[in-house]
Amino acid sequence: MRFRATTLRLGLLILMLTALFTISCRKSPAAPPPPPPAPQATPPPPAPAITLRADPLTIERGQSVTLQWETQHAGNVRIEPGMGEVPVSGSRQVSPASSVTYTATATGPGGTATDTARITVNVPAPPPERAAPRPEPTATVEELFRRNVEEVYFDYDQAEIRPDQVAKIQSAAAWLKQNPNVRFTIEGHADERGSQEYNLGLADRRANAVKQFLTGQGIPDGLIATVSYGEERPQCMDQSEDCYQRNRRAAFTLQ
Amino acid sequence: MKKFWFLTILMLGSAWTSISQRIETGTDRGTLGVRIAVPEFQASGSDPKTTALTALFNQVLWDDLDYSGVVVLVSRSFYPVGRIAAPGDVKPEEWTAPAVDAQFMAFGSTRIDRGQFTADVRFWDLKNAQNRDVLQPSRHRASDDSEAAARLVAHRVADAIIEVIGGGIRGIAQTKIAFVSVHPNGIKEIYVMEYDGANMYPLTSLKSQAVTPGWAPDGQKIAFTFVPPKGPPVINIVSAIDRRPHTFQLAGGSVTTTPSWSPDGSQIAFATSRDSNDGPEIYVADWNGRNLRRLTISPGTDISPVWNPRTGREIAFVSERNGPPQIYIMDAEGTNVRRIINDGGSAQNPAWSPDGQHIAFAWQRRGGNFDIFIHDLATGRNTQLTQDSGNNERPAWAPDGRHIAFESNRAGTSQIYTMLADGTKVRQLTRTGKNQGPSWSGYLQ
Repeated sequence: MRFRATTLRLGLLILMLTALFTISCRKSPAAPPPPPPAPQATPPPPAPAITLRADPLTIERGQSVTLQWETQHAGNVRIEPGMGEVPVSGSRQVSPASSVTYTATATGPGGTATDTARITVNVPAPPPERAAPRPEPTATVEELFRRNVEEVYFDYDQAEIRPDQVAKIQSAAAWLKQNPNVRFTIEGHADERGSQEYNLGLADRRANAVKQFLTGQGIPDGLIATVSYGEERPQCMDQSEDCYQRNRRAAFTLQ
Repeated sequence: MKKFWFLTILMLGSAWTSISQRIETGTDRGTLGVRIAVPEFQASGSDPKTTALTALFNQVLWDDLDYSGVVVLVSRSFYPVGRIAAPGDVKPEEWTAPAVDAQFMAFGSTRIDRGQFTADVRFWDLKNAQNRDVLQPSRHRASDDSEAAARLVAHRVADAIIEVIGGGIRGIAQTKIAFVSVHPNGIKEIYVMEYDGANMYPLTSLKSQAVTPGWAPDGQKIAFTFVPPKGPPVINIVSAIDRRPHTFQLAGGSVTTTPSWSPDGSQIAFATSRDSNDGPEIYVADWNGRNLRRLTISPGTDISPVWNPRTGREIAFVSERNGPPQIYIMDAEGTNVRRIINDGGSAQNPAWSPDGQHIAFAWQRRGGNFDIFIHDLATGRNTQLTQDSGNNERPAWAPDGRHIAFESNRAGTSQIYTMLADGTKVRQLTRTGKNQGPSWSGYLQ
């Protein structure tokens, strides 16, 4: 077994050496002898030709274009910018970030030839790549607060947290926990029904109900102030259930 | 459960039977229903303004007497023909004859004397030939010859007449009413007007919401709730004379509201949530806000305290301690709490009558609208004063105990009205915009 493996390896080695030898033998005679001055009878080598096509010619940023080229009588083809030496014919996908003109140069014994393809890249007016970084500096705490801590609505004459409002307060609590320096005020509001005095009490209880919910979620008591505005600061003035509901709320403001 | 409903229905039924019963609150004192003739006072002198001012004087005097609740004014269409300006013009037998049947008669003359509107007044007992003058013949002189001057003289004459035939209870024609005027942009300011709605003017210009005004017993200050543009509602006090603010120390908390003066003017009861996570509680402090004492500890809202104006030893207030808001009374130290309205619904805005015997309040007894009721503390009986006329809320007693101001939206928007404490003689005082929350001054002179 051992013997057989060794024999096999040896054979392989010989084979490879032979192949190498053959290649180098082929190459060496072609290169060294400088061609003798052209004999009269030999015709001049033909000039190379190249065509370069791009499809499509116009893209949005991020999309790609197929470059395709064909040559005749060329020994060497380069496409710039960015691609360098390429096969004498072929195609390639490119995705330029901005408009660009590709130049393909074919070089052969007969000289050089070039062709160009212009690709137009449309860049969106407010580029999404830019919009993303911009909010980081400008998305003030106030904006983030407003986005993450939403108004809580109540039933008529009630100060209990409604089941459908719980998720909202929980996500507010989650954000507030990540932003432990935010001090804020919970404003209690009531719709116009019932007496004005009673509504000052009712709205106070609403503000406190939300506060207690938040402290129960771990928000420190000291960060939260409460204010009762009763029915004095309505969002809307019409006498409809829709409007009443909008006014029965606890709203949040930064301190 | 069934038993409970049965009981409820029984109770509601028994409450309804009392609605039509009239209440006797002050209107039963003095010479009530006495018939008075008031022929027009006659203008004299040469000042061209006299005629117009005299017409105004006559109108105001008539209205003051008419709304007093003390007298019956005999219609002028029954009067004998002829001008009555002086005793010589009066033939008493014509005025006591069955067609007129007047017991008393007010008459006299008016003029502008050196730039001052002046009235010479007689008030006669037509049936007592020996002693005609019930009031000493008197001359009432204003400081100028403006319309306000003519109105003031009429109010003085009316008050003098009411006092002498109204059982010694002074007339209220020179009292004022503070109220909340709601601007279209939601701003609310405290305004003051005469008791009949004349000469209204703004007391505050805070450009925010100023609500729940309450006159100090001295008539010189008004406490109210100020809802600032940003931050908790607080109690403010302003001079009703020169509008200067007085300091009321901050209580803290998310709301401090419904101030009410003790009858001696030294303390204020109010509601604040400074120590509470579950609605405001009732406190008492000196009228500068110092020396704070907590009176209630209960679940839910406790609000709208009012003192017994006669004794100063009890406080009525609204509490949610047993469910929907109801009216309770406690001793001024916070002890001995008892519920006074037991028929359910929502009872609010207690207003204690000057004699200490009644509490007027707004009651939404079975849902629907609020109406004004009077609770008789001695009998426990509730009497309904308004009905079938929109929401009627926030009763406020006049110092005579005969009149109640209130807020009603019976004409579409909320406006201030007055009525007698038996629900009659309803008079609309404000007409434009939206007006709420009246507070009636004490006697100002």
